Amino acid sequence: MTTLERTRPRRRTWEETPLAERAGLQFEVERFLYAEAALLDARRYRDWLALIAEDIHYWMPIRRTVSTSDLDLEFTKPGEMAFFDDTREVLEMRVKKLEAGSAWSEEPPSRSRHFVSNVRIVAVEGDEITVEACFRLYRSRLNSEADEWTGRRVDLLRRAGATFLLARRHLFLDQTVILANNMSTIF
Amino acid sequence: MADGSHASAWGEAEILSLFDASTGELDRRVLSDEGLYRLELERIFARAWNFMCHDSQLKDPGDWLISWIGEDQVIVVRDDDGRINALLNTCRHRGNAVCRAERGRAKSFVCSYHGWNYGLDGRLIGVPGLKTYYHDDLDRSRLGLARARVESYLGFHFATLAEDAPSLHDYLGEVGRIGLGMLCAHGEVEVVEGIQKNVIGCNWKIAVDNLFDWYHVAYSHNSAQAAGFFDISKILHPKNQMVMLGEFGHAIGGPGIPPERQATIDGLTDDEREAMSRAQGENQPRIRPRRAAELMGPVGVRSEGHPNIFPNLWITLSGVQMCLRLPRGPSKTELWWFTIVPKAAHPALKRKMIWEANHIFGPAGLLEQDDGENWTQATRSARGVAGRKLGQRLSMGLGRDEAAASGNGGSAIEGLISEHGQRWLYRAWTEWMAARDWAQLKANHSRPPTGTV
Repeated sequence: MTTLERTRPRRRTWEETPLAERAGLQFEVERFLYAEAALLDARRYRDWLALIAEDIHYWMPIRRTVSTSDLDLEFTKPGEMAFFDDTREVLEMRVKKLEAGSAWSEEPPSRSRHFVSNVRIVAVEGDEITVEACFRLYRSRLNSEADEWTGRRVDLLRRAGATFLLARRHLFLDQTVILANNMSTIF
Repeated sequence: MADGSHASAWGEAEILSLFDASTGELDRRVLSDEGLYRLELERIFARAWNFMCHDSQLKDPGDWLISWIGEDQVIVVRDDDGRINALLNTCRHRGNAVCRAERGRAKSFVCSYHGWNYGLDGRLIGVPGLKTYYHDDLDRSRLGLARARVESYLGFHFATLAEDAPSLHDYLGEVGRIGLGMLCAHGEVEVVEGIQKNVIGCNWKIAVDNLFDWYHVAYSHNSAQAAGFFDISKILHPKNQMVMLGEFGHAIGGPGIPPERQATIDGLTDDEREAMSRAQGENQPRIRPRRAAELMGPVGVRSEGHPNIFPNLWITLSGVQMCLRLPRGPSKTELWWFTIVPKAAHPALKRKMIWEANHIFGPAGLLEQDDGENWTQATRSARGVAGRKLGQRLSMGLGRDEAAASGNGGSAIEGLISEHGQRWLYRAWTEWMAARDWAQLKANHSRPPTGTV
């Protein structure tokens, strides 16, 4: 043990937290993520917005097919081009657009199914929890279209009373060229 | 190389009859026929100057990216002398793709099949077992990667497979050069990191003709207005439209700055123009500085519309983005969105431009989302036996407007929203498709009209 660690007790890491406490939080987090996904699938966008923090960064960078030696170029970085780079204000616009009845890429409305799995709490700082998960979004559209996106997601959940608010969602898609007419669904 | 149009089922007269410029009627087979699509790859894409990339995308020797000439994949690479080469991405041994990634940095290109090694200029520099298995009996000098011709204008690199194509400068003509000039009007530019790419189930020409279509904006994109994303009345200017027509199918369509307003702008210094840009609020194109007149000419400088460099390079947002519409079969198109900012722009302005580009276009763009399905369904109906016989109607404004020479080979039509741009596109398409080679296309293509159009 170094001198520094002896004089100032090290903060307990998430992995060192007692199992029962971790299991409880895992349960809460998963319940929240499943409920959130269910709201989107049920097209309850206003209820979904109620779970979104004022300062959310909702971001999906562009991914590129690159060689092993160029993996530093795989994703675009913040401030560069992205598929989504949204504030809460933009997410509200996306919801209003879906409600308009004239968002032709979602009219008649698509049928979507949001799957969340491999949920891992990776950090807990005060009332904020960083959660990594795998996602799969299936969209069935008209009688002829089916789109599917999978990827890794990094969410920041902030405790707000009995629930959480989503304060960050970074989506790392597995597709590079998007094999769909559009991405008019909320991920 | 341009034309091996073997046994095309389509004769010249038949092709020319697919679009009637006197009525605006388009035969829907143009949007669905497999044979016509194959012929397009030979007579349009292999013959045209195709946009490859901007200089800023390949900064150092060895930087490369993949682009396309029709369905031929091309490696665009800066070599050790700083030159840009366009090399077909197919090994001369067994045809394997030499590059599998979409971009990267390389000292040379090694084929993953048997290890043939090509230099950044495409020369075959290494063949494993040359001595042992080939007995030194292989003429490497003739087995480099096949090259396309590359020429550039304002830092934008284009490539063609046609040895007999005119120079890029002549190919672009006045209207094509205005298009690229629009991108550089505010100074030297760079491409922002990240090209949004997605595949739409439509014919590539619907995606192209739509860029001239300012009629669809209010209805197709109504939901973006309802969401409070933009105010259509601020960008549409339905009574102040200007369509410019150039040789070989290049055209520009969209709002035009009225001559009186341009006269006011002409009297301002660049600083005053910048102040005016800041004062006019959101969703308005920046007022162009004085240098723009040199790049765009006295008529072109008044355009705030959408140039298309024939066949498939759209310039939009008054020169902030470009979109390539890449053919992937009669019913499939891949869209590539490039975002362009002036190198010297203030970081805050760059951020704003990137933010707007990210939210307007691209597959999740609040405007762009709406288009794909309309185009997909229009393409789909062109496959039906009864549907395809109905034709499509592009008659708006026909016979009601006047075209005037715009100064250097092009012409301009000012008035209401119209379909002059779309008619010019399909007229040029029939001429490209009917011509057997560049000589015939040069002789027979329509010149930009003057008088009643």
